Amino acid sequence: MAEVRLDCYGEACPIPLLKAEKKMKELKTGDVLIVETDHSCAIKNVPEWARKKGYLVDIEETGEGTWDIRIEKTA
Amino acid sequence: MSSLATAPATKKEARPRRSQLPYAMLAILAVVVVGVLLAQISPQLSTMWIFGLAFGFVLQRSRFCFTASLRDPVLTGSTSLTKAVIIAFAVASVGFAAIQYNAFLAGAKTIPGHISPAGWHTAIGATLFGIGMVIAGGCASGTLMRMGEGFVMQWIAIIGFIIGSLWGIHDYGWWKATFMDKSPTVFLPQVLGWPLAFFGQLALLGALYLLAEWYGQRSKI
Repeated sequence: MAEVRLDCYGEACPIPLLKAEKKMKELKTGDVLIVETDHSCAIKNVPEWARKKGYLVDIEETGEGTWDIRIEKTA
Repeated sequence: MSSLATAPATKKEARPRRSQLPYAMLAILAVVVVGVLLAQISPQLSTMWIFGLAFGFVLQRSRFCFTASLRDPVLTGSTSLTKAVIIAFAVASVGFAAIQYNAFLAGAKTIPGHISPAGWHTAIGATLFGIGMVIAGGCASGTLMRMGEGFVMQWIAIIGFIIGSLWGIHDYGWWKATFMDKSPTVFLPQVLGWPLAFFGQLALLGALYLLAEWYGQRSKI
């Protein structure tokens, strides 16, 4: 049940998504990847990708224009 | 979603946020004042002002993105935005067909809208723009919208945008002589007749939509 934080502050799309994809491959089932981003496109395309893969997704706005996207690797 | 809820909360402390409502009220007031002032010069300017703001608002809230619509199928296999852009084209086709057909019936000498020659200049321009927009993180509307959002990258991108446009205008004569004057201008209703052009275009867009749907389902990488 490891929690891994991925810092994507300052990165423009599609970098947060590409980084998340790569990082997700390293995680085991049950791990949670937290993508920290301040890019508003990412809160649309990262959850879309994650849900398509069947992962559980939760988005939290941690500040004005910054978000934590929590993705749980279910399989 | 249950495991996310019961997972140990290692979230950052959410900073107390100042209400943005006063700024919103000021902004709305400024929009109305500018709109009224513009209407004194010409009611069309006022309409364009409101339309531009509304367009930007919808663009931002929906995260609609022309750049992503063409980049994502290649980069991530996602076609959701591609399908959205196809729908936008279909809606625009209907609207423009109405305007143009109306003008045609009224016996206008020129059909409203940009009907220009298509040739090598189109292909070269499209390639350059496609490469540029993916690197810059936005096309024309996306760049303006992100400037408003506060992304400094787009404030820099707009400089390139302006330089590129000015350079293009500077060399316009060369492009016209070398490519545009030698390229055909095709107005589909003129070539195929109004019904075939209109329904044919919608059918083609429908086929592209289905292709995008199939492709998006297929690439479950």
